[in-house]
Amino acid sequence: MLERILVNGLVTSGTYAVLAVGFSLIFGVAKIFNMAHTALYMITAFLIFVGTNQLGFPYALSAVVSVGATIGFGLICYALLFDRVKVHQTAVMIISLAVAMLGQEILLLTLSGHYRGIAPFVTGSIDILGVAVLYQHLFTVLGCLATLFGLWALLTKTNLGKAIRAVAQDSETANLMGINVSRVCLITMGISAGLAAVAAVVAAPLEPLHPGMWMLPLTMILAAVVLGGLGSIKGSVFGAIILGFAETIVVTAVPGGSFLRGAVSLAAMVLVLIARPEGLFGVVFEEERL
Amino acid sequence: MYLEVNGITVLYDRAMVLNDVSFHVDKGELVSLVGPNGAGKSTLLRALAGLIRWEKDTLKGTTLGKITLEGSVLFGGEEMMRLPSHDIAKRGLILCPERGRPFREMTVLENLEAGAYLVKDKGVVKETIDRVYGLFPVLDKRRGQVSGTLSGGERTMLSIARALMSQARFLLIDEPSVGLAPLVKEDLFSRINQVHGMGITILLSEQDIGFAFDLATRNYVMSRGKVIAEGRADDLLADELIRKTYLGL
Ligand SMILES: Nc1ncnc2c1ncn2[C@@H]1O[C@H](COP(=O)(O)OP(=O)(O)OP(=O)(O)O)[C@@H](O)[C@H]1O
Ligand SMILES: [Mg+2]
Repeated sequence: MLERILVNGLVTSGTYAVLAVGFSLIFGVAKIFNMAHTALYMITAFLIFVGTNQLGFPYALSAVVSVGATIGFGLICYALLFDRVKVHQTAVMIISLAVAMLGQEILLLTLSGHYRGIAPFVTGSIDILGVAVLYQHLFTVLGCLATLFGLWALLTKTNLGKAIRAVAQDSETANLMGINVSRVCLITMGISAGLAAVAAVVAAPLEPLHPGMWMLPLTMILAAVVLGGLGSIKGSVFGAIILGFAETIVVTAVPGGSFLRGAVSLAAMVLVLIARPEGLFGVVFEEERL
Repeated sequence: MYLEVNGITVLYDRAMVLNDVSFHVDKGELVSLVGPNGAGKSTLLRALAGLIRWEKDTLKGTTLGKITLEGSVLFGGEEMMRLPSHDIAKRGLILCPERGRPFREMTVLENLEAGAYLVKDKGVVKETIDRVYGLFPVLDKRRGQVSGTLSGGERTMLSIARALMSQARFLLIDEPSVGLAPLVKEDLFSRINQVHGMGITILLSEQDIGFAFDLATRNYVMSRGKVIAEGRADDLLADELIRKTYLGL
């Protein structure tokens, strides 16, 4: 059972981590609290399903096209909706929630509410230290790791990454460095949507697809992001790992645990927040502005 | 004239913060802008850097975004009021904001690199970093430190250094000496002089009249959103009315 927990825990937390950092990124940079973030994940998953199962395209091709389409959709939502009401954060939340529900309804109408599945990208398993690990699981975990590493490299090593971090920390002052803040926000939205899409590419074959599949991951990444400290990318990753494993342990080790998967993890979040309201990695500097 | 400001007026909702302000700065000058709290010095510098326009645009649709902004700012003959703030920075007119405003979760070095955002040549960036470290050795010592933990004086120096990284030609420095101990002030004084000596034109706002008048070649006195006097330190200090009413001496 321990090895099950380890493997499934890594798969779940890896997926949550990639989703959570994407959410965190666009919130930190453009202050967009994007309730449609996991709906983007769902859209990619369904597009891959249509590509592989209905049109007969190979997985890789379907994945690339779906990621591109999802990024495009995310950018359109940003430019047409979120960006225009950005000053009113509650409006952003409500509008993005509406986008998610609209996505759900459209999927229901076009593909019906049946549970669907995508065939694994790779079949078979590999023996790691005496444990049989599905190639698909390995693909998911390595894919998530590579994505997180790529994001880290982008944010810390490139000029664009430095601009993104500058805007996140102080958008007004970023202007003074010659950074085009609205362009950086738009690019960040593209990256954020791309991260949600990539999470689907690596993890969708493991999940039954249905038009309500955005809700549980949304709850979980919101919890992960708050747990880690709103706005902290590192915190989001750790929050996702903690909640991913908590969920896996409950589902695997507790009888009837799959009904409790959300509840226990959320309880974990509440406990941490009572002890440390700013989250695990939330930084509070003394306020210097007057 | 290098910088020519004509009739800048700023209203936050109905509150007039700048009332038809005009002045100019020539190439190579170090000019000070003095005046009491709330005179409008920061607002004026922010307007020159395009931040009032930015504020107006980003806060559009809220009560805070009800800003009126009028007037003309010619920099090197080009109208700045039509440009977004990041393009104004591109022209080499850079604001060092009040209290430095470092990117707090970045290290000192990362702040300098962010300042060099516009500079594409890696060699130039490295060279400029060495140059600003030479100018502000304390930043060299703290290069790996997260800037949110810097002292007030270090923040101010970092903001000047960061502005220099983007190859600034004209610095707008907002209240560099505020809250600094006398020794730190003196040190900063000579650093600003050095920056000026590098051929960079400077307009700085100050509440500390001693600091400003010793440093600057020419001064403007502001009060309640207006420029009410201009001149060399001696002349302003000799004017009884200005001394008493506006400079509090
Ligand atoms: N965003 C704003 N909304 C409303 N009023 C503002 C705003 N910003 C500044 N003001 C007002 O404008 C006036 C001038 O402010 P400003 O910060 O430019 O003064 P200052 O000369 O820099 O003062 P200090 O020396 O205290 O920094 C003040 O009365 C201030 O209350
Ligand atoms: Mg001020």
